[in-house]
Amino acid sequence: MATIKINGTQLEKMLRNGLNNLLEHKEEVNKLNVFPVADGDTGTNMSLTLSHGLGAARPRPEAGPYLRPVSEGMLLGARGNSGVILSQLFKGLYTELARAGWITPALLRNALIRAYKTAYGAVVHPVEGTILTVAREGIEHIKTQIDRTTTVEEFLSMYVAEMRKSLSYTPELLPVLKESGVIDSGAYGYILIFEGMLDQLYGKEHKQKAEEAHITVQAEPAAVDPSLFNENSAFVEGYCMEFILQLMKSENYTQRFVLRSYINDLKLYGTSLVVVQDGRRVKVHIHTFKPAKIITLSQEFGEFLTFKLENMQLQHNEVLQNKNKPETKKVLSVIAAVNGDGMEKTFRELGCDAVINCRETMNASAEDFIRAISRVNAEKIVILPNNKNVIMAAEQAVRLSEAKNAVVLPTKSSAEGYFALAMDIQDSDDTALRVKQMRSGMKSTVTLTASTATKDYENGSESCRAGEEIVMMNGELVAASTDWCDCIIKGLRAVPDADELESCVIFRGDGVSDEHEAILTERLSEAFPMLEPTFINGGQSVYRFIIGISE
Amino acid sequence: MKDFKIMADATCDLTKELSEKYGIITIPGHLVFPEGKELKAFLDWDTVPRDEFYTDLKKRPDEYSTSPANVDEFAGYMEEAAKEGCDMIVMTISSGISGAFGFASKAKEQVEKKYNVKINVIDTMRFGPGFGLMAVYASQLRAEGKSIDEVTAWIEDNKNRFHQAGWLDDLSFVAKKGRLTHAKAFFGTLAGVKPIGEFDYNGLTTVIGKAKGSKKAYTALLSYIEGTIEDPEEQIIFIAQTNRLPQAEEYKKLIEEKFHPKAVYIKDVFPSCGINIGPGLMAAYYVGKPISKDLSFERDLLNKYLEAKE
Repeated sequence: MATIKINGTQLEKMLRNGLNNLLEHKEEVNKLNVFPVADGDTGTNMSLTLSHGLGAARPRPEAGPYLRPVSEGMLLGARGNSGVILSQLFKGLYTELARAGWITPALLRNALIRAYKTAYGAVVHPVEGTILTVAREGIEHIKTQIDRTTTVEEFLSMYVAEMRKSLSYTPELLPVLKESGVIDSGAYGYILIFEGMLDQLYGKEHKQKAEEAHITVQAEPAAVDPSLFNENSAFVEGYCMEFILQLMKSENYTQRFVLRSYINDLKLYGTSLVVVQDGRRVKVHIHTFKPAKIITLSQEFGEFLTFKLENMQLQHNEVLQNKNKPETKKVLSVIAAVNGDGMEKTFRELGCDAVINCRETMNASAEDFIRAISRVNAEKIVILPNNKNVIMAAEQAVRLSEAKNAVVLPTKSSAEGYFALAMDIQDSDDTALRVKQMRSGMKSTVTLTASTATKDYENGSESCRAGEEIVMMNGELVAASTDWCDCIIKGLRAVPDADELESCVIFRGDGVSDEHEAILTERLSEAFPMLEPTFINGGQSVYRFIIGISE
Repeated sequence: MKDFKIMADATCDLTKELSEKYGIITIPGHLVFPEGKELKAFLDWDTVPRDEFYTDLKKRPDEYSTSPANVDEFAGYMEEAAKEGCDMIVMTISSGISGAFGFASKAKEQVEKKYNVKINVIDTMRFGPGFGLMAVYASQLRAEGKSIDEVTAWIEDNKNRFHQAGWLDDLSFVAKKGRLTHAKAFFGTLAGVKPIGEFDYNGLTTVIGKAKGSKKAYTALLSYIEGTIEDPEEQIIFIAQTNRLPQAEEYKKLIEEKFHPKAVYIKDVFPSCGINIGPGLMAAYYVGKPISKDLSFERDLLNKYLEAKE
């Protein structure tokens, strides 16, 4: 077992094994969350990003050409800060390997150096003790040991081992990790990918679990707008169907599977056919109007490992929609990312031209923002993220779409976004003034979030137990209590000059009732008579309340 | 000199008390209330109490609507005066908002054909108390002995000096009804953020700045008034409030302390205007420097004060 070079086909298998290893440990990675709130988890973000990249590429024998769509797909699919950095690492890898048919250890060394340098370059303020540190030290500490005799296995073993060592030091470099007693989750996720790649060379396969298959499929049709297909739509594009069929041994199935006749049968039902057989598994891609026929035919031989069906009319309509962007050019358009249907409605009413509603994944991907950018027509575009973990994806989208007229206001919560919009002066054609107004709305906002602690936590001044009600102020724990209402009042006292402040918006989360609102309203008017809270049904997940107070 | 009458459509929001004091005839338009109930515009709260009206309006704004007096109705009021041989000034709500000016002008043609009187129709380019204040100025000039043409000329030359300094903190009505401002993208209350509106060149209100909270708004507004008002001691100032009486009283106190005007009246906004404004208006009306064509001077001035640290 001594691999001296790998080609595109092998690389594809290795990356899939890497992804599957990450998915196997996804929950473990998610739990490395520094804060006791389950939002925008690293394991989920990184696996969605990588699977988006792998989903964008077809196996090819040449390594470089194979990596290209992987890298592009990852840049687009990047979610969360860790996803963005991962996509930048792969961008660096691809850049170095673009012309390589085979990857030798020497080439891989150069590529991994380029990878971390690219990632450092993409981050405005690189923070040590993260994925960046681990990717850098991992290769820098071993690069001199790579010579002509080094095999790919030896190389990757050293790389992974060195990164693991580096990972163990991350709490020393990053105080928040030490306080929470965790190692850096993004760095750990990155190592898991390379570990899985190495395992593949050793013949240790990580299997994709059913639930994860579901996630992979979800990651791809990034937020198509279902409203573009309705009862009156023409249906002339058909479905795009993709699946992996496991040929079964049981006597319930036809045992004689002949690839050529299977292909001939499929041709009767569709076009754009691609069929690849790998042992007892068959991967199929086809465009069809009759998905049921194909399912019936395939089930004669086996069962589906993965299955994906997309309405191509919907995608087609979306493309048309993008082409038919509003003809009249607006002076300024605002794009916002939100979580929750009520939020979406509110932000539209406040004047947003495009709203990305991430109900499931919490974090909008770069591609979500790129689509949104393509849908608006304005001299100036302002993008409002809803979470610190979304800002980098938005910035990546601006770079990728080369929208020089777009600017990301680094709003770290929906409350900041709300006040940015509330301060916008839509009557004005002066874009500089409007951006300045929005920025002032963002800057003067303090965000409090009320949720239930997912773990025990302490930050020096406050502590909470898993299951307690907690309030975080601008991302820091400021109150914990068994009573949700007490907790919010206590949290608000942590806001500087809280007694003096008036402007307040409160987004009600999923499952918060009018009764809760009435109780909170009464308690607030007792404790903070000056405050004029405006309640909005946000419908967000995770956070019972998101409270914005503007000074 | 020949005596003349001053008429104003009911969107001037002058109560009976004020219209009698200044000898101004108000011409009512029409209101539609819920369940299709049609009413003549009124300038008191006898039909429905203020709080009840605004609370219900907020609940079901779509069931309320307004329309101006029609040509015949304008003509009716004009003929009444013409029969007495009186000339008249007829002032209407901003043509940027309503068709009243057009109707009144048509009525003038009809009436002037039949009677040998002079009718000067003025498009005030204002609404509500800003319009009402202008009618009061016309009346005062008349009392000084100015002729109908002198009064008309003064109003035409100076109507652009009638300012509005205040906030409209529930923009949902403005958005729904498409009146009073360039409703580009608006939302209901903005969680304590006060959009500050000034009259623009088209006779609408344009938001020129936003203040976070009423305290900051008062401070900035008082400075804004200081920077735009002329001869405040000589003036009557109106403060309009739809359903914001405590704030209006606070504002009145602050204005009196700072500018010592002849009088400050807090004025209600009656349904003719209220239906289109909603419950969030709280603004002062006064005479000052001419308003710039693109509001750039006013915007810069206000934002200077809004950005100032307390």
